[in-house]
Amino acid sequence: METILQAVLDVAGVGAALVFDSSGRLVCHRGHAIYDRALCEQLSGTLGKAVDTIQLQQEDWESVSARYDDGKLLLRNLGAAGGGPHVLAVVADATLNASFATVAIRVATNKLKKALESGAASSVLAAAPPPAAASSASAVPAGSRPGDSRPALASSSGLSWSQASGVGLSRIAVADPASSAYLSRSAKELARHVGPMAKVYVEEAVRRVTPDAPFSLSLAARLRDDLAGQIEDADGRTQFRKALEKG
Amino acid sequence: MSDLKLIGSRPEVKSAVLSDPAGAFLDAIREPDGENVAAVTGFLTSTMVQAGEQLGLGVLRTISFAGQARACLVVVRSDSVVTAFVEPPTSVATVEKVLDPSDSSPRGR
Repeated sequence: METILQAVLDVAGVGAALVFDSSGRLVCHRGHAIYDRALCEQLSGTLGKAVDTIQLQQEDWESVSARYDDGKLLLRNLGAAGGGPHVLAVVADATLNASFATVAIRVATNKLKKALESGAASSVLAAAPPPAAASSASAVPAGSRPGDSRPALASSSGLSWSQASGVGLSRIAVADPASSAYLSRSAKELARHVGPMAKVYVEEAVRRVTPDAPFSLSLAARLRDDLAGQIEDADGRTQFRKALEKG
Repeated sequence: MSDLKLIGSRPEVKSAVLSDPAGAFLDAIREPDGENVAAVTGFLTSTMVQAGEQLGLGVLRTISFAGQARACLVVVRSDSVVTAFVEPPTSVATVEKVLDPSDSSPRGR
């Protein structure tokens, strides 16, 4: 994968190219000296949140372009191959040749998708050095950190919300794909009332409703009641309950 | 002329929302869920500003994201944010030119 990223880095104006996964964890990166691993790990976490938010607006997004005074940030959706959604991010300065970059990034995207399908991400992660202290929390399963009382939900079943739905960027264990779909729908409906923090509220509610076991549809009513409590407006609470009961 | 009026008559703009940088809804055209769009855009904008600060890229001007059928353009100004949903996605550049004809104006976050 590093070879593929190097080809992007060779385009004039590109400062760094990196791949991060659905939890905002850096998988692989190539960059000029100032874009070291620590910075790329920090950036991966921030962009992970941005991707989460974009998915609330447009689940089938393929590309993102952010233009700044002194450069650009370009993202490409690499799909869910390789154990969950991955994203290519390219950092460029104002001298970027947009035409060359478009072609190089398209080629890299296709190659990275194939590499991810062949399981390259897991082998790169296995070979990667331990993350910097500032970002290590996201890479360590919940419950295994000292002082963290949260159970390691994601490891308790074969499925997680993010893997099954492709919408979320966190890891909540679910009993089956239908339960995962229900969580996605809950987050979408809740977002109409509380905005982009909805997914975080759903995650917290799942941990309250079922702290020790994967979420299943048998707990749907309890989750719905818990989430409805997050909506201040009484009409909004009613609308939210009705919307979830419909499906 | 306001930003929404500027783009409202364009056929490729399916809906648009005007919000403040904190995500509060101000106005909308053809968008029934403007408050939700404003909130999501506000959070996205602040996150991308944070990413730009980490990289030293300067003031954020625009964000665009595209899928198969439609695209979304977010133009960031010092006191407002315009979000436009565009179909087909290839028309984003045209709408961006209308909203942001020059990079020289003093704006951004």
